[in-house]
Amino acid sequence: MRVRAARAAAAALLLAGAPCPAATPAAAAATDSSNALAHQLLEQLVEINTTDSPRGNVTSAAEAMAERLRAGGFAAADMQLLGPSERKKNLVVRLRGSGTRPPVLLIGHLDVVEARREDWSTDPFRLIERDGFFYGRGTLDMKGPDAIMVASLIRLKRAGFTPARDIILALTADEEGGAANGVQWLLEHHRQLIDAQFVLSGDDYSVLTENGKPLFFELIASEKVYADYQLLVTNKGGHSSEPLPDNAIYTLTRGLDRLAAYEFPFELNAVTREYYRRLADIESGQRAADMRAILGTPPAPAAVERLSRNSVDHSITRTTCVATRLEAGHANNALPQRAAAVVNCRILPGHSPEEVRALLVRVLADRAIAVRYLASDGSLHEAAPQERGFAPPPLLPEVIGPLDQLVGETWPGLKVIPSMSAGASDATHTSAAGLPTYTFAPLTVDPNDDREHGRDERIGVASFYQANEFFYRYLRLITAH
Amino acid sequence: MDRTPSRRLLRAGRAATRLAALLGAAALAAGAADAPLGPGAAGPAGAEPAAAAWNALAHDIYRQLVGINTTDSAGSVTAAAEALAQRFRAAGFAAADVRVLGPQARKKNLVVRLHGSGAHRPLLLIGHLDVVEARREDWSTDPFTLVEKDGYFYGRGALDMKSGDAVMATALLRMQREGFRPSRDLILALTADEEGGCCNGVEWLLKNHRELIDAEFVLNHDGLVGYSISAEHGVPQEFALSAAEKMYADYQLTVTNRGGHSSLPRPDNAIYQLAQDLLKVAHYAFPFELNEVTRAYFTRMAAQRGGQSGADMRAVAATPADPAAIARLSREPDLNSLMRTTCVATRLDGGHANNALPQRAQAVVNCRILPGHSKEEVRQQLIGVLADPGIIVRYVADDGTVSERAPEQRALPPSPLSPELLEPLERTVAAIWPGLAVVPFMNSSATDGIYTRAAGLPTYGVAGIAVDRDDMRAHGRDERVRVAAFYQDNEFYYRYLQALSAH
Repeated sequence: MRVRAARAAAAALLLAGAPCPAATPAAAAATDSSNALAHQLLEQLVEINTTDSPRGNVTSAAEAMAERLRAGGFAAADMQLLGPSERKKNLVVRLRGSGTRPPVLLIGHLDVVEARREDWSTDPFRLIERDGFFYGRGTLDMKGPDAIMVASLIRLKRAGFTPARDIILALTADEEGGAANGVQWLLEHHRQLIDAQFVLSGDDYSVLTENGKPLFFELIASEKVYADYQLLVTNKGGHSSEPLPDNAIYTLTRGLDRLAAYEFPFELNAVTREYYRRLADIESGQRAADMRAILGTPPAPAAVERLSRNSVDHSITRTTCVATRLEAGHANNALPQRAAAVVNCRILPGHSPEEVRALLVRVLADRAIAVRYLASDGSLHEAAPQERGFAPPPLLPEVIGPLDQLVGETWPGLKVIPSMSAGASDATHTSAAGLPTYTFAPLTVDPNDDREHGRDERIGVASFYQANEFFYRYLRLITAH
Repeated sequence: MDRTPSRRLLRAGRAATRLAALLGAAALAAGAADAPLGPGAAGPAGAEPAAAAWNALAHDIYRQLVGINTTDSAGSVTAAAEALAQRFRAAGFAAADVRVLGPQARKKNLVVRLHGSGAHRPLLLIGHLDVVEARREDWSTDPFTLVEKDGYFYGRGALDMKSGDAVMATALLRMQREGFRPSRDLILALTADEEGGCCNGVEWLLKNHRELIDAEFVLNHDGLVGYSISAEHGVPQEFALSAAEKMYADYQLTVTNRGGHSSLPRPDNAIYQLAQDLLKVAHYAFPFELNEVTRAYFTRMAAQRGGQSGADMRAVAATPADPAAIARLSREPDLNSLMRTTCVATRLDGGHANNALPQRAQAVVNCRILPGHSKEEVRQQLIGVLADPGIIVRYVADDGTVSERAPEQRALPPSPLSPELLEPLERTVAAIWPGLAVVPFMNSSATDGIYTRAAGLPTYGVAGIAVDRDDMRAHGRDERVRVAAFYQDNEFYYRYLQALSAH
């Protein structure tokens, strides 16, 4: 996800009034109370299994948040629980404003990726506080940000604040996969419920640190295109007591071995160029020099090579494809009749999923391996979509201005750097619908300790509360007048 | 346990066998076409014309057994055992010699004893009554009705192994009827759950009623997945006597990784690591090694084959074996599996979400271990081949439990190729299939023989049914046996048992 965009903090500071530092005792009490609520919400969300598996249920989480919002003073008429299936309902809630300006839409997904107890040090579906961290599936991606958004809305409501624009919050299903992507479904069936001037997503942490020191604040303004492919080898199989040279598993693993060795071409675009231009001023030494060197024409090969050893830079500068799942065989004592892998690709804007599929076919270099496109609903297709990734939206001053101000206040000297995400999110859908979409969650994470989708996922306790305060203030700033 | 059958034996046969085989089959089939005759109509003991009547009885039992569903899901092995017990009692077997017993209502086994003079210790015949599942919609005919069509018997268990059950039961009924007094007790155990399930009958009987089935040696009709004779277009090529079994073992290979978001791939990846390691297994060949049985196999088959592969068989049976010949024969999967332990990846499982880097990638590697080697020894060999400290190799037991180490248990040595067993076999085979070679064989797939071998009973797989090597339908749809082959087995088994217990 760390891919910087062009257009940085240079945007005009639109900000005038509406500062609301938590300096007074009353404000401090409000902060404490909001933090306590955010903590409860996070705990509740983590402990509701919202995986796509049969054990998971997004509706339960949506209902729990609706209940909290009702208790926080929201009218039933301003809350909708709706979706295409029983387990996949989305919550849409509206904090009514004066109508001076068009609405802002906040989006957050409630679903989480799978987590197996045996892979984790703690129960992934329990919120555990330990050594200054909250542990649990979704703490970072993205029940932490969900809890903050809900807490902020309740706090605004309780404060009697009337925003200059409606603030709509949509908590949705199936961002991580599954048949019922909530944002897509809402855009298609209830566009009027969530229509807005722009969209804020909390689906990525923003404050990147190294050895505990914040490096910069990232605002994601563009995304790579997400695409899954299925690699399939079939074979007549046979009895495993007489192994044959032609074996579906070995054919597949040889192909995967070639894929592992393949590197997509290095490629920068306007967004990532700007990203490196700005980042070079923050970084130092060889790294800063390499960033400048890759911006040259042609890019310096040694600098590309060095920089690409970092998995973040590696992903920013090229399309990536990686095997994420394997499945083969039907009995321990039978030669496999079928061996399949899922390859997940993140495609640079300007390239299409079908283009990448054709390239995978060439890299695998084995006609026995069929490469099909795997759509988000799980259906398989001989060809992939031809659409190319979206161009980044313009950076709206009403978005970037308050952000610059608040980041400067919270982390003096820290720069906001627009970037491109390599982790496709629901922003893909809102962007496609023509809504400028910006992604940030003011959480502090060391990218070397990024545990999104991994085991022992966690966020810092202090960072969580800091982000809770930050987001509340940011909402006030963008809706002050 | 290993239930899927496979046996692709040998290649070239001798054309000379063709005519005799066809004549023999035709004669028996013609006999079978006569009006059914009950055992009461049988002629005097040992008289050849009696064959037709006993074929009719075998057919009747065969039809009855196929008609009784004995699958693990909906069937009852007990019903089949009871049906046969009824026939034995009606034929004059004492109630004490016809036992139906087992650990569960649907899983009872039949044990029948035909008393001999006691000159020799008993001979135990084993066969399983259970069959694998069969769905009507997959089949051309009702799998639980024995259908005779175009010269074949169709039905679930037609080959595996209700034909063998019928043939063995008929042999005992015939001996009883003819007043034949064997020189040793002949015990028939028809059992449950060979194909899987809670209650393997052979294992249960050995553990709980060893005295009922104790014997000098064991004939397992299922020892070669129901047939000893590999045929081409109905023409027998050779008669295999199974005297050794490889040992079955599953291993689980696991690579773990911290995982992460799939948008940020790293060089370290559980799936790629596993893929690279599996290719090492794919390229590795376990050391060449023959035992008494496989050496005899290659020696005898060398004469059958002739040409380059015949010469190669002679060269691998020699000491020292010729490496070039080993390399050439190893290209044939069936021969390769006779010369070495084999291990092959059969299953893969990795990752937990399309958009997450895998935290775990696993494979199942299935091994067939040569006699004399242990499961733990092979585990250590796999670790050496993989040469990757990042991959964990665990043992998977039959019940699915996974353990850090494998049992030290060694694959049992071959059963001795004793003349008392071989000589009567060769004589009987020569009488029915003139010119057909008898070839000692080692099974790569496991049968109930593993239990009797483990109990110290020498065990031999023998079945006189000929099956085309390209028409193996056991466990598959439209399972079938040639009508003529069934009747030949019926005659063969009777004669072979007589020869084994004549004096």
